[in-house]
Amino acid sequence: MAPLGRAALLVAFGCLIYAALAGGYAAARRRRRLALSARNALLAAFGATAVAAAVLVAALLRHDFTFAYVAEHTSAQLPARYRVSALWGGQEGSLLFWLLVLTGYSSIAVLAARRAGQDLLAWVVPILGTIGAFFAFLVVAIASPFHTQTAPPDGLGLTPSLQNPYMLIHPPLLYLGYVGLSIPFAFAMATLLARRGDEMWIVVTRRWTLVAWTFLGVGQLLGAHWAYVEVGWGGYYAWDPVENAALMPWLAATAFLHSVMIQEKRGMLKVWNMLLVVLAFCLAIFGDFLTRSGVINSIHSFAQGKVGPWLLGFICAVTAASLALVFARLPLLRARTRLESLVSREATFLYNNLLLVALCLTILWGVAFPLLSEAVRGQTVTIARPYYDFFLRVFGLPLLLLMGIGPLVAWRRASLRALGNAFLGPALLAVATGVVLIALGAGSSRPGLIAYSFSVFVLASIALEFARGTRARRSLAGGSWPAAFGSLVARNRRRYGGYVVHAAVVLLAIGIAGSSAYQTVRERRLQPGQSMNVAGYTLAFQGTTEGQSSNARELRTHLLLSRGGHTLGSIAPGKNYYPAERSSSNEVAIRHSFLTLEDVYVIADQIDAKSGAVYFKVLVKPLVNLIWLAGAVFVLGSLITLWPDAREERRLAARYRAEGALVRV
Amino acid sequence: MTAALFIAALVAAAAVVLAALPFLRDPSPAADRLERQDELERRTLELAEERDRALAALKELEFDHRTGKISDEDYRRLVGPLRVRAAETLRALEPRAMVEVPEPPEPPPPPDEPAPPEPVPEPYPPDEITPPVPPLIPEPGPSESRR
Repeated sequence: MAPLGRAALLVAFGCLIYAALAGGYAAARRRRRLALSARNALLAAFGATAVAAAVLVAALLRHDFTFAYVAEHTSAQLPARYRVSALWGGQEGSLLFWLLVLTGYSSIAVLAARRAGQDLLAWVVPILGTIGAFFAFLVVAIASPFHTQTAPPDGLGLTPSLQNPYMLIHPPLLYLGYVGLSIPFAFAMATLLARRGDEMWIVVTRRWTLVAWTFLGVGQLLGAHWAYVEVGWGGYYAWDPVENAALMPWLAATAFLHSVMIQEKRGMLKVWNMLLVVLAFCLAIFGDFLTRSGVINSIHSFAQGKVGPWLLGFICAVTAASLALVFARLPLLRARTRLESLVSREATFLYNNLLLVALCLTILWGVAFPLLSEAVRGQTVTIARPYYDFFLRVFGLPLLLLMGIGPLVAWRRASLRALGNAFLGPALLAVATGVVLIALGAGSSRPGLIAYSFSVFVLASIALEFARGTRARRSLAGGSWPAAFGSLVARNRRRYGGYVVHAAVVLLAIGIAGSSAYQTVRERRLQPGQSMNVAGYTLAFQGTTEGQSSNARELRTHLLLSRGGHTLGSIAPGKNYYPAERSSSNEVAIRHSFLTLEDVYVIADQIDAKSGAVYFKVLVKPLVNLIWLAGAVFVLGSLITLWPDAREERRLAARYRAEGALVRV
Repeated sequence: MTAALFIAALVAAAAVVLAALPFLRDPSPAADRLERQDELERRTLELAEERDRALAALKELEFDHRTGKISDEDYRRLVGPLRVRAAETLRALEPRAMVEVPEPPEPPPPPDEPAPPEPVPEPYPPDEITPPVPPLIPEPGPSESRR
């Protein structure tokens, strides 16, 4: 079936080229039928790509080792679920998956954007067509997943660390996030090409941006949890370049989601928003470049290939063309209003944007500098964790504080007296928290202490916002307190959904501070019968056992965990040996405490089969489970924000009715 | 192999038919021009956005005042210019005004002294988000940009 896959990709490539060229011509010359034809070609490209993807998935499931890709990324013993996930486990398959998501998103976007004017949509199609054509070119000409060969007896298998349930969902979510940023980018550039200065593109892409941002956020958290439970080094985020690759577009998109509100409410920051959309999109492509080019030595850079220079060239071309377009259309983006006061809600949004972009660019520099150094000077340089930790504290802690300040400040301008009244309660709580924590002995880490105090400040300000809003709502409409609360959230989902997301970020900050600044680490070599003490826990090593799964030999060490004389249970860290892949993986053991949200994390680092001795590394990580809880709260907040609002829809319908015929798309 | 080639040919044929569909459905249209914003529509949309912004700002101000984020003094100082702005955009969107195609009003700078309230009715209840539907705009007449 490889010829079918190749042919389907060729059809998709042809359709996307047509969508780009015919669509561009139609938009420039205002040819209605040609524009519709180009749009249909975009839809056809999705169909053809889906056929190609189906061919590859079928080959993966059938162990068809005549496909070089199948032989290189699966083995006969690999469980079926990981044979499916091998679609995004290798370079060629992941590029095909990227193309599938891109054409799928593009099809939905051009069909669903009914509010957008024909002139705007006519430009969206060639932009999405161009992006799609580039990725189709990669899978057709540079990294085809449909190369065939004489079938070997067995495949090479999938990298062991990818044989984890998280790999079934973490990469697709990240891809949905990365690729989703193409849609706001396409609409933003189309607005400029159509010489429109209005905010239609923001209205149309608001949900797209939120969806992409949510997928990126959840994808990163799942990736962090995967690293925590599977990679086996005791942490969840290592500032690995490929981890940073997902964080950077998320930060840029976060900045955009905030600053776009200023444009909607005040008509300001139009140029800034365009630049943020371009930055987020380019960083998403840069993420693909980092993962797939092989330029970075990372556990995530599974693939080494020829696509790197092409991706880099594409990023440069997109950046140059986008910036040229933004500067050419500067008169259209002129703001009609100005910032009235440096002490106002919009000013806090601006500060938030500056900090987010500064953090994003600092991380970008940390990722890019080693590459530049190696390319220009031939010297290998490593930017280590202290660099990132330093800037996370410098920019992250003020960001955390701003999350608490922003909701308390009024739009336009706020008097110092009103600010004093608003801040008094949360500030007193934050100070009291700091004092109590110092008294409890948590003063050993100043950043941790500041993070906890700021977190309390933010949570208090969010609670205050909900309380005041509910009271105001109840005084207006009457009814019970829960009804007033529900009505408050339902009437302004973006604002209150946003506060829930802020609460998630606070939980994340507390979890990170607790598990990094206050963690305890002990390492010791134990013989069976010996024990070790860590942060009040006792671990008694009982012995080692060996088992066999479908594709791995499993070695497990058994430890009895107790605290204060009470037995908490048995845990079994160990190692898996994968004969087909000729490699091994650390299988850590984690004991969660749902009461204290603390983890005891045990790694059996070296197992001496002859003497029976094992070198253990034990980490006690306070509050680490708040990080995963933050993920659930984050999704809840995003869902509230994304949930359709009938009043908002009516308001927008009224706006675009005024515009007349352009609503008819 | 033959089946694969047959399916591939089907996929290609379907793509070609889909792309050609607009021409097949409408081989000789009366007009084949894409709609595009004309000057009147551009201004109308700008004004509608400005109107929504002004009304939303009034709503935010009311809510901030009600929740205690804004003092009475600040509220009195800010509400006047916002009402002026909302009134101007609403007035500019009236049919008679639209014929003259005005530029969207520049927002007035905040005055030092509290501005007297304009004789403008409340645009909509402070806790409601749906603004009043603007007056109908007359059709600008036959235009090349419309089908």
